[in-house]
Amino acid sequence: MNKNLLYSVTALFDTPDGIIHAAEAVRNAGYKRYDVHTPYPVHGMDDAMELKDSKLGFITLGAGLLGGAGVFAFISWVFLAAYPNVIGGKPYFSWPAFVPVTFEITVLSAVLLTIGSLIVFFFKFPNNSHPLHDTPYMKNVSSDKFGISIQANDPKFDEAAVTALLSSLHPLTVAPVFYDEEELRHTWTTFDPKFLALLVGVALFVSGSTYLHLNKLLYLPPFDWMSNQNKFKPQTPTAQYDDTRMMRSAPDGTVARGFIPYPFKGMPDSAGKYLVNPLQPTSEALALGKTKFLTYCSPCHGNFARGDSRLRGQFPNPPTLHSDKVRNWPDGNIFHVITEGQNIMPSYASQVSREERWAIVHYVRALQRAFNAKESDTQ
Amino acid sequence: MSTTQVPYQRKDLPASVTAFGAGATAAGAAIVALTFMFDHSRGLYNNIIGLSVLASVAVGALFYVALEYLAGAVWSTPFRRVMEFLSATVFALVVVALPLMANLHEVFHWTHMEAVAKDPILAGKSPYLNIQFFTIRNIAFAVLWIFFYAMLTRFSRKQDTTRDQKYTRINIRFSTAFMPVFALTTTFFAIDWIMSLEPHWFSTIFGVYYFSGTFLCALAVATFIIVSLNERGYLVAGLGKDHYYSLGTLLFVFTNFWAYIAFSQFMLIWYANVPEETYWFIARWKNGWEYVSLALIFMKFLVPYFVLLSQPSKMDGRKLKFIGIWIFLAHTVDMYWLIMPNFSRSLVLGWQELGFPLLIAGLITLTFVFKARKENLVPIGDPKLQRGIDFKI
Amino acid sequence: MSTSAIDYTIDHPAVAGTPSAASIDEVIAAPIDSKPSKGWWIGLAITGSMLGVGILSISWLFYKGTGVWGVNQPVGWGFDIVNFVFWVGIGHAGTLISAILFLLRQKWRTGIARFAEAMTIFAVMCALIFPLIHTGRPWLAAVYLFPYPNQHGLWVNFTSPLLWDVFAVSTYFTVSFVFWYIGLIPDFAMLRDRATTKFKKIAYSIFSLGWRHSNRHWQHYEKAYLILAGFSTPLVLSVHTIVSFDFAVSVIPGWHTTIFPPYFVAGAVFSGFAMVQNVLIVTRKYFNLEHIITINHLENMNKVIVLTGSIVGYAYAMEFFIAWYSGNPLEQFVFLNRALGPYAWAYWTMVTCNVVFPQLFWIKKVRTNIIGMFIIGVFVNVGMWFERFVIVVTSLSRDFLPSSWGHYVPTAVDFGVFIGSIGLFFTLVLLFVRVLPVVSMSEIKAVLPGAQPSRH
Repeated sequence: MNKNLLYSVTALFDTPDGIIHAAEAVRNAGYKRYDVHTPYPVHGMDDAMELKDSKLGFITLGAGLLGGAGVFAFISWVFLAAYPNVIGGKPYFSWPAFVPVTFEITVLSAVLLTIGSLIVFFFKFPNNSHPLHDTPYMKNVSSDKFGISIQANDPKFDEAAVTALLSSLHPLTVAPVFYDEEELRHTWTTFDPKFLALLVGVALFVSGSTYLHLNKLLYLPPFDWMSNQNKFKPQTPTAQYDDTRMMRSAPDGTVARGFIPYPFKGMPDSAGKYLVNPLQPTSEALALGKTKFLTYCSPCHGNFARGDSRLRGQFPNPPTLHSDKVRNWPDGNIFHVITEGQNIMPSYASQVSREERWAIVHYVRALQRAFNAKESDTQ
Repeated sequence: MSTTQVPYQRKDLPASVTAFGAGATAAGAAIVALTFMFDHSRGLYNNIIGLSVLASVAVGALFYVALEYLAGAVWSTPFRRVMEFLSATVFALVVVALPLMANLHEVFHWTHMEAVAKDPILAGKSPYLNIQFFTIRNIAFAVLWIFFYAMLTRFSRKQDTTRDQKYTRINIRFSTAFMPVFALTTTFFAIDWIMSLEPHWFSTIFGVYYFSGTFLCALAVATFIIVSLNERGYLVAGLGKDHYYSLGTLLFVFTNFWAYIAFSQFMLIWYANVPEETYWFIARWKNGWEYVSLALIFMKFLVPYFVLLSQPSKMDGRKLKFIGIWIFLAHTVDMYWLIMPNFSRSLVLGWQELGFPLLIAGLITLTFVFKARKENLVPIGDPKLQRGIDFKI
Repeated sequence: MSTSAIDYTIDHPAVAGTPSAASIDEVIAAPIDSKPSKGWWIGLAITGSMLGVGILSISWLFYKGTGVWGVNQPVGWGFDIVNFVFWVGIGHAGTLISAILFLLRQKWRTGIARFAEAMTIFAVMCALIFPLIHTGRPWLAAVYLFPYPNQHGLWVNFTSPLLWDVFAVSTYFTVSFVFWYIGLIPDFAMLRDRATTKFKKIAYSIFSLGWRHSNRHWQHYEKAYLILAGFSTPLVLSVHTIVSFDFAVSVIPGWHTTIFPPYFVAGAVFSGFAMVQNVLIVTRKYFNLEHIITINHLENMNKVIVLTGSIVGYAYAMEFFIAWYSGNPLEQFVFLNRALGPYAWAYWTMVTCNVVFPQLFWIKKVRTNIIGMFIIGVFVNVGMWFERFVIVVTSLSRDFLPSSWGHYVPTAVDFGVFIGSIGLFFTLVLLFVRVLPVVSMSEIKAVLPGAQPSRH
């Protein structure tokens, strides 16, 4: 172990004036690799050492602009391209509402990158094996003394000359600092097997405990009380009723609130005979009918009810609604088919309300009229 | 507890300044007179712009004087007199308000009794919005402002000769009393003269919005004057980058503050989308006014923000002078943007709009010259003066 | 007499007397080097018990679900958001002291900045509890809180104020923490160099990152500090502004009002300063820091309290005036209901504590009286808690439709979680004063008399 490599010659001072004077003297003597150590930043020291202005601000500016522009672009992409969604009746590109998140991310990225580069690039930290650590010199400048240290690797360095220069500045003490090469050379590597093993261990622990929590623990009592509630479920048998079914139908003669029973179940002719379209064929009714027709009917019957949708050929073909049969049906019959279904067409009663069904009837009538227009219609 | 003598030699301002002041006043007054002749209403709306800008300079400067006493700030003591001179424009304020007081009926919808009678909302507001109470309020504002102006500057002037620290103490008392007075008077001044032009519209932040621009405007005008005077040696020696930096920082901070308040007001009204509030912004986003809105963002936020962002430019006298004038103009545009859409729903901009800004600039200059002729440009008796000159960041 | 003693020609010293730099080390490091006293243990037992109450309440909440809270239709926001806003508000003083006062070059901040920053971090931690637990099962809610594309390819709603909150508060926490840590590095190095045990030496070495007090580092360090302060200032405004957006972007009468952003920020600073002032009064007495955290510092804090308190009072008045002025019957009703309705007691508590009592700080005697200011500080915190309660609960319990009005009564669990958050806060404060320097040593040394070269 070679303990005697000279790192620098140091001098300690008692007053801020003394250290400023010393720094100027050392700078004027032409030394480059020297440093001043003070328990707090001493005003005017940067000028005394002729340090250039810190370039840290440029990193901040760059990081902030990049972060802000990036997140604004990202949010815009989310709302304009990835999943356009109308929120609060606002346009997709609601830039005022993007401002808060953009601002926060600007600050966050600027601050984190500034501090990250300050520590890693400007300070080259963490570094706990510097020759000055653990020396009486460091202990003094840590508390209340002001120190200057001229490094041995300065091109002009000469131990005797440096000691003489520093001694001439009325310091408290002048002392050389030595370092142990072996100790400094010991570096801590990322690929140290022990470290890798530790990483694997941490990863296994975190993933394992996460898995256990989310997939096992939450399904164990008592944490499962929300999923396993003490109640009867529709498909579970019960002893309460003779037929052991938990799922009950409504008692005879009762009707759910807001529900009007359909009186012509299985009676298309009666429906045609007795039902009258309660809606006037206004433009609103036709617009409603069009919307509902295009949503529910057109997938099979086609956009113009000609039975020509792209499903043609894959099923028994959906019929055209322009056939004489349908044209001659009374309104009630069309209503009945929508309500009850026909052949393979299912009931649409649950998807389309009564009023909407009647609006669809109007719209179908309008389509029929349009395809079989009379001379008089053009006048 | 005697103060050290600061070497200060009073010099008269050059005649060119007086000439500029007189010229601007005369030209402004001429344009104003023509405007009133050709389009009386337009002249009145412009008059409100002039009134609100001048009030910003006068009361904003007075606020700064009080703030300095209260905060115990020292860096601005060497140029507090500039603020005091600017606040002397409170007298001009009365003159500028006179044509309006005589013609309230022409600009304020709520003075039309037959319209108020038909409108339950306006009828509900009539205990506040009526000509009598309006007049009393505004006379009270003027009296309060002039009173505090007289007190704060009187003791400051006395100190020039007596150098007695007790005047600082008295002024701190007056400043304390002025703070709540300032908050309430500027708020209701803004509500009365600007917000009530659109009597159905309301926004709780409006007073704060006006305050943010007010202080910024006063500070900007003062910055221009301070830097100009200091460069030509009218103030004491030893004022430099550190003082400029503090002025620049304050301008920067209040630019951001104004943007923050303006954005908050816009954001909340835009987001909630309540029709009774949004129409105010919609009016400023249609028929040409959208260009003024955009120009306002550009003038009052983006330009000052980027000019003042870097540390060296906050210490740069040339940039500070430029931004001082710029912010004064931006504040005028801000007032124009607040007020003129009530005159016309589609953009109006012409020579008529030049009259009042010119007149105001002239009045400020003349008041300043008038005060500088009699008084020191530096509060030489202030106990904080030496500390202020020695100020280092 | 005290007023006439002020000499305006001289600068107020940031510390009392002329302590030496070495004695500063001794005094500030003393609590870290010595064994805790009986009083500290008693304090920890009390705060620990409160924390225990909180943990029990939260466990019960996790087990049973958020139904154990008093919230229900129509008051869907209760103690959770009240406490969240309260704690975030407390956190605002720290950044204000460390950033804004730093930019304004107020030397008196040095004695209190570290403490205030620590309290910011602890307060934000307390605040974060509430949005986390209000999801009921926070471990399952992670995907809703963070921008994480779910299986539908749907992103979180970046235009929702509640999401802004997530970004604002987490950014605030991160930046405050970084700010605090950067300030601690030189002190860690100093503690490292005076450490007597091997464990302490290793621990402080790690935390100090190898700081050497080098001027070449100080130069960048000071720049970084300035940049951090510059960013923290708008950040601290943005946080409570965004919290106020939670309410103000809605159309609920009493919530949708444009003055909310500055009003919330002022209120936050108000309560934060009161809390910092309270804790500092106890700490300076207990650790003999009266010459570093002087009565002058406390007086300055009280001035900030009276200023922000008056701004809050202005906002109350403005809200009332504009509610009347607007001519909107719903707005008018909400404000009358606040003052005269079922929660009038909360409203008048708020007005008394926030507007009336702090005005006593205009009197210098009160401002410099330790007992007096302590009591007013407590009042301010009570008042500010009630302010949030009034805003949240009165508006929701009496909204547009009288048929859907309701009354909110918090449950024992609500109180338990709140007590727990108070316990957490003070437990962290007690631990902090034992393990970290409560005053920034490197900063206080820099403002001691004679600490700077005579030319500057």
